[in-house]
Order: sequence, then structure tokens, then C-alpha cells
Amino acid sequence: MQPLALPERENLHGRRPRLWGWLLLTPLVLWLFAFVVVPMGVVVVYSFCQRDDLGRVVFSFSWENYARVFEPIYLRILGRSVGFAALTTVLCIAIGFPVAWYIARRSERARNRLLLLVMVPFWTSFLIRTYAWIAILKDEGLLNGLLQYAHLISAPLPLLYTPGAVVVGLVYAYLPFMILPIYASAEKVDNALVEAAYDLGAGPIRAFSEVIVPLTWPGIAAGILLVFVPAIGMFAITDLMGGAQVPMIGNVIQNQFFRARNWPFGAALGVVFTLLFVVAYAWVQRRSSRTP
Amino acid sequence: MIHRNLRLVLGAFTALTLSLAVRAADKELNLFAWSEYIPQAVLDGFTKETGIKVNYETFASGEEMLAKMLAGGTIYDLIQPPDYIAEALIKNNLLLPLDYKKLPGFKNLLPQFTRMPHDPEQKYTVPYMASTVGIVVNTEKVKQPIAGIVDLFSPKNKGRIVVVDDGRELVTAALYVLGYPLNEITPKNLKETRPLLAKWFKLIKLFDSDSPKTALLNGDVDLGLVWGGEAALLWQENKKFAYVLPKEGAHQFVDILAIPKGAKHSAAAHAFIDYILRPNVSATISKEFPYTNPNGEARKLLTPEQLANPASYPKDPRKLDTFRHLGDTGALIDELVTDLKNSN
Repeated sequence: MQPLALPERENLHGRRPRLWGWLLLTPLVLWLFAFVVVPMGVVVVYSFCQRDDLGRVVFSFSWENYARVFEPIYLRILGRSVGFAALTTVLCIAIGFPVAWYIARRSERARNRLLLLVMVPFWTSFLIRTYAWIAILKDEGLLNGLLQYAHLISAPLPLLYTPGAVVVGLVYAYLPFMILPIYASAEKVDNALVEAAYDLGAGPIRAFSEVIVPLTWPGIAAGILLVFVPAIGMFAITDLMGGAQVPMIGNVIQNQFFRARNWPFGAALGVVFTLLFVVAYAWVQRRSSRTP
Repeated sequence: MIHRNLRLVLGAFTALTLSLAVRAADKELNLFAWSEYIPQAVLDGFTKETGIKVNYETFASGEEMLAKMLAGGTIYDLIQPPDYIAEALIKNNLLLPLDYKKLPGFKNLLPQFTRMPHDPEQKYTVPYMASTVGIVVNTEKVKQPIAGIVDLFSPKNKGRIVVVDDGRELVTAALYVLGYPLNEITPKNLKETRPLLAKWFKLIKLFDSDSPKTALLNGDVDLGLVWGGEAALLWQENKKFAYVLPKEGAHQFVDILAIPKGAKHSAAAHAFIDYILRPNVSATISKEFPYTNPNGEARKLLTPEQLANPASYPKDPRKLDTFRHLGDTGALIDELVTDLKNSN
């Protein structure tokens, strides 16, 4: 992911290139304004408001919601959400990188077939796929049945409704978002460069860390953003596969809008969450601009 | 001549638009109700008889209903909140008084389901269905007797319990055990429930409000604190699922039908309420969704098997409590439950 920088080019459209450029950008700008800037503005305004007895938003200024966001219980939830998202991201890289690299090194026909396999899960609704995991992991489910049939275990293992199940669900849901960008970078890597590293005396580890990783870093960085950020806010998987035992920040925010009907507090959590995204983005950008 | 023709056409056109507008006003009903609660056959039957088209939008919790209704996107003609939410709406003057002349079927209701605490003057609401909250026990797996909340949350049952993911229900269970009235939710009482709930939360395997019966049917858990309607469906499926109203205390909630202020089709809404009040229609609903039917005439049409369902019609002589509207203390419950789950 490169920062958006318009190259200085010869002017191809006569005397008013800027106007023409803006005209082309208009739909995008309008879209961003209507669906990003305005809603975000509403969220920011709400986050400084209060609620009445019924949960309606009352427009009287207050810092209270932000003070509450930084109470230990919500910080701990945020910390745990970041932890789960980080673990998910690391596992996705660990599983996704070899897969992406392998696919990128095949012949074009094989590549297209393998990529299709990565995409196949998207043909079914995300919720249905999550319910399929419930069928696999439940006490009388496929996995426990198989293990018992093979006499590896005598009683069903409690797999579903555990933190482990949440991580499995998260990795499963986000793995394609790691594989695809890494694949896009890995495909462009010239094999000659890797061979050159070996010829110059680098061992496999050094060739990997000093040649392959830097060359595929843009893909890894994009993958990290695509996995880490949404994984922090995910709430459906923690409810369905974690049994809603341990709240994530996404669950807390969702609760504020429905069950607790405290929109201002939910908005404040959302604002803090968005700022966190900006920080993560800036960090990854800095990393990728440092590596050549 | 041309001029006259044009006027004629214009006149006819105006008349047509007007009549269409009137038709639309009379022939449409924006209904906002629980998911999985009104059989499609009932909606179709109503449309077939009256010509009124029903736009059925659903919600999954009373709080969600309130949030969407107050946000104001759609103007609903008929809503189906639980009793304590209806009470809040009445207190805030957000419901339209009912016109009983248009509700001849009202007399079919059992007296204990009218003039309830949420609507003491019986001005705004008509009960749709009622349900208790109680304990389901898979008697094939659980051999020790379960009579109350304390038995349910015994350390022996660790990892075998599902509960509704509803902070207020869990706090209520703790208040019952401590001997406090269920609507006295004060910071002091909540503080006392905390150690008890913390202990219970370690035993619970799953929090699920949408379909707690699924985990029981799958065999992932053997006991549950669930809605009576869910328990009734389990009992229909397999008689091994026993239903117990906790000995420490039990409450019932009633989902009601009411017309919000500003409704555009209040005549259609009255027609729908009266249709629901018909004994045969109400019995059709009970067949699909076995909650407690408040309609005395409809109960006469139910089969002995339906009436014997312990979760639909508990044989318990106690007077059941009901939830009252909480003001700001509702937020305290949410915070307590979030905190407890968090430190689990």
C-alpha cells in the first residue's frame, strides 16, 4: 500500500487539467462525503451527548462518555480485542504466506485454479459458514465424532464456545484477505533475485528475511490492515462460536446501540476505535515507506 | 372542445390519484414485531379478508425495537413490545389510546391479562402472548432434582448451562436468590448480586438469547435458564426436556400490541388487533408458537396436549411477577454484566 501521491505528469487534457481531474473525482468525493464524512461527523457529535430515560440522544455537551471509555473494564476489553486480532493476524500470516508463495510459484493455469479455491468460501454467506463451524466443533459434532471413532479420545472435547473456537473462526474468516494481497506481491517477485541471494552465500533463512520478505512486504502490509482492523471489531464470531462468554469491543459497541440503548457511549467507543485504526494504518505506512 | 377534453382528462386524473391515495391509506399496515412470532398464515388470512397489505418488519429484542422506533426512520402503525418497554412508551406519552368500539374481540381475553401493571387503566395495550422465564432440564442427562436457581447454578453443572444473554434476566435471578423484589434494581442491590453472578458466570457455557434451545437440542448443554416459549418447543420435540419455574421466584412477561402516536393507518391497526383477538386466529398462533395464550376463548380450541405443555401453561399456583420499566439503572445492569463477563 503506497501513500496516495499523484505523479507530476505532462498535461494531457489541455489547459485545465485540474478541473477535469476534479470532475472525474466528483463521484468518489460525493460518495466519501455522504457515506464517510457525514456519518463520522454524526458519530463524533453523538459521542459528546447524553441519553435520556428512554435512550434518546440529548444534545447537551459532556465528556462523560470518553471518561467511561478509559475506565479499566473497557480498556481491558479493548486490550483483549487487540490481542485476539493480533493473534489472528499472526496466524493468518503464518498460514497464508506459504500458501500465497506456493500459489504464486505455480504455472499460470494452476495459479488460477488455486486462486479460485481461495475464493470459493466467498460464494456462501459468512453466517452460514460460521454455522458450519458450529456443526463441526460442537460436542456431538463432526470433529468430536471423528476423534471418538478413531478411539483417540473417549469423551467429547469441549471445543465450541471456547476462546480457541473464536480464534479458529477469526482465522478462517480472514485468511483469504491475507492470502490474496501477499499472492499479488509474491507473483511479481523474480526468482532470479532469490537465486542471486543463494549465489551470494545467503542461507535459506537470510534469503527469506532479507530478500523475500522485503519484496513481498507491500502485500503483507495490506494483509495486516485487511485482517487486523476488521478482526478487532468482529462481534458475530465471538457471539456464535465463543458463546458470548467473553466480550470483545465489537460486542460492547453493538450492545450500546441495542440492548443498553446508550448511543452516545457507543459513539464514543466508535470514535476511539476509529482513531486506533488511523494509528495502525500510520504505523504500517511508516514501516512500508522505510523498507525499500 | 380540446380544452374541455383536457379538463375532463385532468379531472379524471385528479380523481384517480385521490382515490389511490385514500386506498393506500386504508389498505396498508406497517407492523413492527418480534421475529418468529406471527405465523405467515395469520398475516395472509388478514390480508385476504380485509385487503390490507401488511408490511412486516421484525426485531430481535425489545430494546432494539425501542431504538429503531425512536430513531424514527419508518412510521409504524402497530408495534409489539414487551410489557416493560410498553410501560416506558406510555409514560413518555408515545402511544395512541385504543378505540374499544373497534375491538369487539377484546372480551375474549382472560381477566388476569388485562389492567396489568404496565397499563393499569387498560387504555393503550392488548396482550398478544405471554411467557415465563424458567429452567429447562434434560432429564436424561441430569439426575439430581432441580427445583430452583440455586440448584441450576450448582458447581456440579459447570460447563453444562445455557442462559439467555440478557443482563436483566440474570440480575433478576440473583435478586430472587437474595430475596429482593425483582424490580428493586438499585446500585446497592446490584453490588450484592455481583459475587453471586461472578460465581455463576464461571459455570455458564453459553449465553444465547436468540435460540437457547439449539444448544440444548444439540446436546452441548443439559440445563438452561430460558424463555418459556423456547422450553415449550423443546418439550414438543422431546418430553425429556422438563420445565421448572424457580422456587426462589418466577416472573412472566407479556408481549403486547399497541399503536404508536403518529401512526398513519390506525384503523388498519385496530382491524389487525381485532383479527388477532379472534379465538381461531389466536389458536393458530399457539399452534406454531406455543407461548402462554392470554385469550380464554382461544384456549378452549387448543388440544389437551398443547394445554399440558408445562412451559406454555405452568401448573404453578404462585402469582407471577412482571418487569417494570427501569430508568437509568438499566445502564448499571449492562455495565455490571459486561464487567463480569470480562473478568471471567
